[in-house]
Amino acid sequence: MDLVSLLIAATPAFIASAVEFVEATTIVLAVGVTRGWRAPLLGTLAAAVALAVIIALLGVTLVNVVPEHALKMFVGSLLLLFGLRWLRKAILRFAGIIALHDEEVIYQKELAELRAQGLSRSEFDKVGAVVAFKAVLLEGLEVAFIVIAFGAGGTQALNAAIVGAIAAGIVVILLGIALRHPLTMVPENWMKFGVGAMLSAFGVFWFAEGLEVQWPGDALALLPIIGAFLIVSYLSARMLAMILPEGAHVNARNV
Amino acid sequence: MLKGVWENVYGLLVEDGQLAVGIVVSLVVIWAAATYGGSALHENAGWLLLALLLALVVVNLYAAGHNARHKISA
Repeated sequence: MDLVSLLIAATPAFIASAVEFVEATTIVLAVGVTRGWRAPLLGTLAAAVALAVIIALLGVTLVNVVPEHALKMFVGSLLLLFGLRWLRKAILRFAGIIALHDEEVIYQKELAELRAQGLSRSEFDKVGAVVAFKAVLLEGLEVAFIVIAFGAGGTQALNAAIVGAIAAGIVVILLGIALRHPLTMVPENWMKFGVGAMLSAFGVFWFAEGLEVQWPGDALALLPIIGAFLIVSYLSARMLAMILPEGAHVNARNV
Repeated sequence: MLKGVWENVYGLLVEDGQLAVGIVVSLVVIWAAATYGGSALHENAGWLLLALLLALVVVNLYAAGHNARHKISA
């Protein structure tokens, strides 16, 4: 695979993973600022190792052991279940039906909780390590899911997805270190909107490939599929704005 | 970690249960159509799945909008 092809193949995983890394970085930053950096960095490192093992075992096993068509149908189904859920939430947020995801609010809430727990200077900060470990592992599991999903096409696709996810991690972590503040400038809700559409489009694509359907233009068919999801999502947000012009800001569980 | 997994499963099955059921039904319908429905259906199964899912999203969001309107007016 040449560099340009690799970049194109790695881009969806890069964008999707970046969203998850932003959320994990917010928590790790909050721990580091309130309780010192040693424990959260060790927690982050432990979670990264755990994730590498999960991706290596699950991803490589899935790609190499499960028959190709069955794998594509399985991964396509999972992508649709999670992708359409993300897309639905993003549309409801844009229409003002549920509250927007705000990294600054999450960061301040996390700071207050961590400060309230107090800090023992004499021993290793287990609370800081565990909070960072959990945040990185949970968001990282979603990254692992994204990598396995985008890498379902075979070894090259898996490698490209891994490259995209690692690059996203490096960029987000470097930005977090440089700014020492949550990455509120990242248009997270827009990215989630795009990621939901991308995951759903890949879900349709893989599921149909699993049924041995030939797409016109092969992977290029992904472009009109993503476009269809984006157009319908935009129109749906407009429809919701007509139903509730003032918005609602209700709990996601109530709609 | 278990809490996070549980929240995802709960969210998928309860919060977005109707959407999840709709997706699974759409996948089964398209699988049946592509497998038993002749070559024309098989060739166009991908586009049919896309159309079904787009319709599902619009209907689900329309219902969500009306649910939210009832919640705030109640």
